[in-house]
Amino acid sequence: MPLKTVKKDTAEKLTLEWVLHVKNYKLSLDRNRCVGCQICSLACPKEAIKVEKQPKSNGEKTRKPKVDIDLAKCNFCGICDILCPYGAVKVTLDNEHSLPIIEKKCFPKPLRDIQVNPDKFPADQNEIEEACPLHLIRVLAPVSERTESKATVEVEKEYCPCCRVCEIKLPLGAMQVRKFIYGKIAIHQEKCPDGCTDCLDVCPITGALFLQDKDKKVAVNDTFCVYCGACRVVCPVEGALELERTRIIHEPIRSGAWNKTLERLTSPVGIAKELKNKGSLKARESVKKRVGLKGG
Amino acid sequence: MAETASKIRGKIRQKKREATGRGRRPKTPRPRIGVFVCQCGGQVSSIVDVNELTNYAKTLPNVVYAEQMNFPCSRLGQEEIVNAIKKNKLERVVVAGCSPRLYEPTFQRCVSQAELNPWLFEMANIREFASYCHQANPKQATEKAKDTVRMAVAKAKLLEPLSPIELPMTKKVMVIGGGIAGINAALDLADMGFKVYVVEKTESIGGYMALLDKTFPTLDCSICIEGPKMVDVGRHPNIEIISYADVLKVDGHVGSFKVKIRKNPRYVIAANCTGCGECRDACPIEYPNYADMYLGVRKAISPPFGQAVPLTHTINREYCIECFKCVDACGAREAINFDQKPEEIDLEVGAIIVSIGYSMYNPSDLEWTGYGKYDNVFTALEFERLILAAGPTGGKVVRASDGQKPHSVAFIQCVGSRDINRYEHCSSFCCMYTLKHAVMLKEKYRDDIEVYVFYNDMRSNFKGYEEFYNRAQKSGVKFLRVKLENRKILEDPQTKSLTVSGETEDGKPVTAHADMVVLANAAIPQQTATELAKILKIPLTPEGFFVECQPKIRPTDTDVPGIFLAGACQGLKDIPYSVAQGSAAAAQAAAVLSKNVWTVEPLVAQVNEEMCSGCRVCESVCGYNAIAVENRGDKALARVKEGLCRGCGICSSACPMDAISMPNYSDRHIIAQVKAVMGRGDKT
Repeated sequence: MPLKTVKKDTAEKLTLEWVLHVKNYKLSLDRNRCVGCQICSLACPKEAIKVEKQPKSNGEKTRKPKVDIDLAKCNFCGICDILCPYGAVKVTLDNEHSLPIIEKKCFPKPLRDIQVNPDKFPADQNEIEEACPLHLIRVLAPVSERTESKATVEVEKEYCPCCRVCEIKLPLGAMQVRKFIYGKIAIHQEKCPDGCTDCLDVCPITGALFLQDKDKKVAVNDTFCVYCGACRVVCPVEGALELERTRIIHEPIRSGAWNKTLERLTSPVGIAKELKNKGSLKARESVKKRVGLKGG
Repeated sequence: MAETASKIRGKIRQKKREATGRGRRPKTPRPRIGVFVCQCGGQVSSIVDVNELTNYAKTLPNVVYAEQMNFPCSRLGQEEIVNAIKKNKLERVVVAGCSPRLYEPTFQRCVSQAELNPWLFEMANIREFASYCHQANPKQATEKAKDTVRMAVAKAKLLEPLSPIELPMTKKVMVIGGGIAGINAALDLADMGFKVYVVEKTESIGGYMALLDKTFPTLDCSICIEGPKMVDVGRHPNIEIISYADVLKVDGHVGSFKVKIRKNPRYVIAANCTGCGECRDACPIEYPNYADMYLGVRKAISPPFGQAVPLTHTINREYCIECFKCVDACGAREAINFDQKPEEIDLEVGAIIVSIGYSMYNPSDLEWTGYGKYDNVFTALEFERLILAAGPTGGKVVRASDGQKPHSVAFIQCVGSRDINRYEHCSSFCCMYTLKHAVMLKEKYRDDIEVYVFYNDMRSNFKGYEEFYNRAQKSGVKFLRVKLENRKILEDPQTKSLTVSGETEDGKPVTAHADMVVLANAAIPQQTATELAKILKIPLTPEGFFVECQPKIRPTDTDVPGIFLAGACQGLKDIPYSVAQGSAAAAQAAAVLSKNVWTVEPLVAQVNEEMCSGCRVCESVCGYNAIAVENRGDKALARVKEGLCRGCGICSSACPMDAISMPNYSDRHIIAQVKAVMGRGDKT
């Protein structure tokens, strides 16, 4: 008898479900958080995810690309959930957000290194909250001069792409963020059509792309870019916007699936580098073990 | 153009004359012919005037003897014929009676007892062609019988002695489908000493029986009685299981079928896999399990169920994310190979048993059932997996909507079956398995559960079945007899409980409230039957069951010699009858395999190599792949594969060079018959 499956697609949410008698697998994509970047579609081992550019109506801003997931191909593995920089995808098993691929150490989580130092926060609550372009920082209790207490701040780390905007905007040392995706981005402005701001329109990180005053062309600020590739999806000219991911910081877990994903997300060079690093690390360790040498 | 065509025809005639070695027509032989007219227990003699016919036969050219008999096919009748042949020194024998389909071999044996070549015998069918179809006009029927006998005599005159063709016998057999019927056939044949290949489409043998909880009417645990047999198949030195495989092609004929099989990649090396399950435990990915009717899940590397034979695990690459944790878990056994490719295997077998079983109808297109729409409507096989202790819920019968135990369950019979718009046939075992489910529920939960059965006819017609029906009635199951029309299931959207309603024969409404509904959905022909029928060139009924050679006395034979049927693929049947038919098919196959040579009738096409131009027309028209053009020396010539040729004659009539003839059915024989019926036969 056929498997009972459910697919619901609204403007807010895309939900896929396997309704089994004893188990329930659910994938939900929060369309408000999703920016339409390339990461999930590249990472998906089953090629179930499509990211489509939305048609542009005259005079309006470019809309962010739309993600669609093929229920027939999806195996609810949760790799999209793990890798989404914006935490837009959630895969649940019996309504619990615990992925077997993480529990069985079959896939590494990217490491989000976000350090909050309440000592250094300014007094202005708005200034703190506005520092995050995605509004992930919330002040629970502001700095009080009367009681001399520090600010209590909550950061929704699971949704943070680690753009480092807050680190720069807030006083030095208040936030310390390390990127987990590294890469290169370049805009060849000579190829950009006049007045085109498509990439800027979809970029979720304020300041990663900006309009140059002199010629009204879009330029890049590498410091803030998270290399998600939403801009790459909407760019109308082949070769005008070049984006390459080189490294992803992750838990030290050996996994064939990770190697494949990394190859798709970065490049054969990226994966070769990582394997070489791991290989030499392993070699060094085994030499250490055998010979009892100290140091490298 | 006209000139060229006539020239070619002239050349052909010239060539033919040269080939036959005669310039003129061959001389007509004048053998002594005897005619035996059969009364057929009145079936012929009540319409056709057999006296007149016998006297008429005596007047025909070359007929030296004619008599009428009542049952020439009986032992006494045959002795009489033998004596008449010897006494009158008959050289050709004509029996005018029934159809040759059933009795020709009988009379051929009889003729050979009189030391006459069995192919010097001809049958005139005056029963089907005269008495049966012209019952209203006895006179004309007699005239037609005369024509028929005249034709037979004209042909008999030209009959030539033939000798049977002998083919080698490969003492191996292939069983397609490893369900309970195939398992029994395989074990029987293997015990007799024949090499058996069991080709199974899925990962494990066992079929549907391996998925069931209990069996009726004894309530034996299904896998406990089938499991040991499955293991026996796996361990038998004469049996080789080729599982997860498809039959691609079958050529050849009885005694020597050439089979091509594709073994699909499991990505696990069967020889190295011990079935320990460590890889399965390491695997992070689950997918809906067909063996659990998608109620439960299995790992991306796993066997379909615990008792699978072979227990070799399979990686489902559609779901696998290739993390290679299984490779780590397998370790030194090195059983996992992600580069495995489909493997083609060639086998040669002497006989084939087809036992591919049945499949189940998906009732989601029957709107009144609400199947697929209402959470708590199940099919019988889904319910079977629910109540099974090793099933996904551990044997707890629970509703899909809330995971609670139902306090009332309604079983609905004949869903999709006995319905001329879906499947006209009766699925034959649903009544019994519904009784089984009802009794199991009642005996498990006693007064805590209300069980209703909406039925139309209760078919409990084999040993111990009616007694089981009584047991169900005594256990408190409520039986509600309703018409098959106007049944309906409605869901309460709040409680997700259901109301089942129907109508009695006299139109009174019947309703019951149930927390769960189980549909006895139709069992239907196996989906792969159509494809396999094409590969094996055996016929299917319009519904899709394989057609037996004769429904009463040859229920396991097919029309193709050496191919036999067993189990539900021939017609739906329950376990004991599938087992019995498996053994029957094994015995039939053994009768073939135990011969050292297989003899076939010599009525196969013959190629005159002098005249064959190798044009391949015969090859293109033959429906049995029995004739092919081969290069011999510097010439391309047609060659007949005698084991495959059915003697239909299509190549003979299609051959532009007139190079192919059918022994005793050549142009000469047919023209003689035509002349005889047109009244222009030679009066010699």
